[in-house]
Amino acid sequence: MRKRKHALAALVVAIAATGVVLAAGVGAGSAKSNSAFKVAWIYVGPHNDGGWSQAHDAGRLYVQKMLGSKVQTTYKENIAVGAQLQQTVASLVNQGYKMIFGTSYGYFSKAFAAKYPSVLFEQATGTDVAKNLSEYFGAAEDSVFLSGMAAGAASKTGDIGYVVAFPIPEVIRHANAFTLGAQVTHPGAKVHLVWTNNWFDPAKEKKAAQSLVAAGADVLGQNVDSPATGQFAESKGIPWVGYDSDSSKFAPKSWQTASVYNWGPYYLSRVKAAMNGTWKSGFYYGSMKSGFTGIAAFGPSVSAATKAKIAAKMKAIENGSFYEFTGPLYDQSGKLRVKSGVRMQVLKGGTNSLYGMSWLVKGVVGSPKG
Amino acid sequence: MRIERRLRQPRWLIVAVPAGSLVFAFFAAGLVLYATGHNALSSYRQIVDAAFLNSGAIGQTLTQATPLAFTGLAAAAAFRMRLFNIGAEGQLFMGAITADAAGLYLGGHGWPTALVIFAMVIAGCAGGAAWALIPGALRAFFKTNEIITSLMLNYVAAYVLTYLVFNTESYWRQTKGFNASVFPTSKTLPNDALWPSAMIHARGGIALPLGAGIAVLVAFLLWFLFTRTRFGFEAQVLGDSPRAAQYAGMRTRRKILAVMGISGAVAGLGGASQVGDFAHMLDADPNGLQKQYYGYTGIVVAALARYNPLAVVVVAFLIGALQNAGNTLQGADFPSGLVGVMQGIILFSALGGELLVRYRVRVGRTMPATEAA
Repeated sequence: MRKRKHALAALVVAIAATGVVLAAGVGAGSAKSNSAFKVAWIYVGPHNDGGWSQAHDAGRLYVQKMLGSKVQTTYKENIAVGAQLQQTVASLVNQGYKMIFGTSYGYFSKAFAAKYPSVLFEQATGTDVAKNLSEYFGAAEDSVFLSGMAAGAASKTGDIGYVVAFPIPEVIRHANAFTLGAQVTHPGAKVHLVWTNNWFDPAKEKKAAQSLVAAGADVLGQNVDSPATGQFAESKGIPWVGYDSDSSKFAPKSWQTASVYNWGPYYLSRVKAAMNGTWKSGFYYGSMKSGFTGIAAFGPSVSAATKAKIAAKMKAIENGSFYEFTGPLYDQSGKLRVKSGVRMQVLKGGTNSLYGMSWLVKGVVGSPKG
Repeated sequence: MRIERRLRQPRWLIVAVPAGSLVFAFFAAGLVLYATGHNALSSYRQIVDAAFLNSGAIGQTLTQATPLAFTGLAAAAAFRMRLFNIGAEGQLFMGAITADAAGLYLGGHGWPTALVIFAMVIAGCAGGAAWALIPGALRAFFKTNEIITSLMLNYVAAYVLTYLVFNTESYWRQTKGFNASVFPTSKTLPNDALWPSAMIHARGGIALPLGAGIAVLVAFLLWFLFTRTRFGFEAQVLGDSPRAAQYAGMRTRRKILAVMGISGAVAGLGGASQVGDFAHMLDADPNGLQKQYYGYTGIVVAALARYNPLAVVVVAFLIGALQNAGNTLQGADFPSGLVGVMQGIILFSALGGELLVRYRVRVGRTMPATEAA
């Protein structure tokens, strides 16, 4: 009987306590200022994924910091394309969000943007431009090339593993740039691909890294969003080149460097433009020179000689005297794809453009079809 | 303290227990919210607004609820016979693939919309049923555990779905145009193959998708089949006591195949509705349809509905509302993990409460001898 009474008493107290909490909270949180310009970001993975989405969220925080109370920002994370995205956008619009950045391809189409004519949409990595839909991305191939140089220098055997997401031009051009970079510091280097068919899937990425090391890779790189590859590399004492964000804290010893994005300034300029009515849709492709892309701080095992080589190439890319996608470029079968002296362009040139690349350069081991 | 089986289940309990579970869940989730520094009442308010009250909210809830109704019905149909088809997920994918092919082909050849939709429905059912009959046949003829086989086939189906659009230039994949080269996409259905929706002019317009109507119709058909026909009676007996059913001369194999086929067909129909009602293309992105886990959530829906097809429709609507609200709630000041915790508490309480319908908790040492049986 004793026990029963105690249990009952505890339950009553708990219920009463919750009731008090609930009552105390009424009306508190809802009084946010309505004058702030509301901007939302939609992420394909968690906002703190240690890679792609985290870099975007750093950009969001930068906007919030620079504009203070004039803006109200939020994000929606782990949003799947299709039904979930449609719901998410509908609820954001309902809550008064006037500008939405979608940071993964496939979120917004022209037809979708047309459904909300009073909302400004911006999508990373795509090509659909409409009246209220902009596209933005940056020349990560330049910075990925530099990070590839670090990978090549770190490799003894010349076999480098590269964990990749989808067999699409974006990832193919990064794999190509990474390989070309590795071959500068390690002539004849081979880059082995394992596809995960997902942007963010730590378990799969770890398995991919495992299989690459088992197959003989002595350095790992990646074009996926999580630091799982790096954590595995750290456990094996293998050098690792990251992607998207500075994730050195996940693998302090293995860390070499990474190609990183600085989305903040772009976001700030676009939000400002939207606020003062000068926003126009367009296709933005940021460069390394403008600070849109770059490389993260080097890890402890990167030699001074390698750092100097990378710095020199970086300078050459920035002043235009070097461009990694200049012919002659050969594909895996040894066929000449880009003639000597020809520079590849972003959108023009079909499969020989950055946005249409469907073939892998000589030295990549893997299929461009996934 | 001991738990004992109830000899009789009072009618009032069937209403009181879910209601009590919900109240408990709100208090428990409220404590979590308080501990994490959130305002519980305004959070609940947001949930209700996002699920039902905001302009367009019911339409969004229906978008989430419709596939759950199909997968819930698929699970309920099989589970009633103690046939544990965990494969509604893969059967839904297969139904989407076949229905999309039918829509693309017939819609592009000038067939009237009604016929195209009918063909998509049939194709979706056939695709789902065929996929379900693999574990069904293995169970019927070789006594293979259908839980394992149907579950494993979900992964196979997901890979097939991704493969069709991401790794090969199949009939489903869009290959024309520059966009198609930037990221793999599926062909969009021709206008003649789009499923219509009925508009209710309230709360900013509620679009009732055709699939939601079909789901209700299927629920009535299943209810009739399982409670009013000899087929349903035999399935029930087979589920309760396979031996007794065999002695009574009921055909076990045939029944297993039929029930798995029906279950798969209903899940496949859900896939057809995904294509025709919502996506208007084959959503093969691993971050799309495959991340919704409709097939698995459908099992929860069926369990909460006690495998009653009519109740499945109601529960699917409520779970759809909960999922819809979750998207609205999460954001910079409300982590998505916390949304998951709240949804988990609500579902766990609801399922846990079921125990109290069938069993009762006795506190104390002695037990009246009359109830000891």
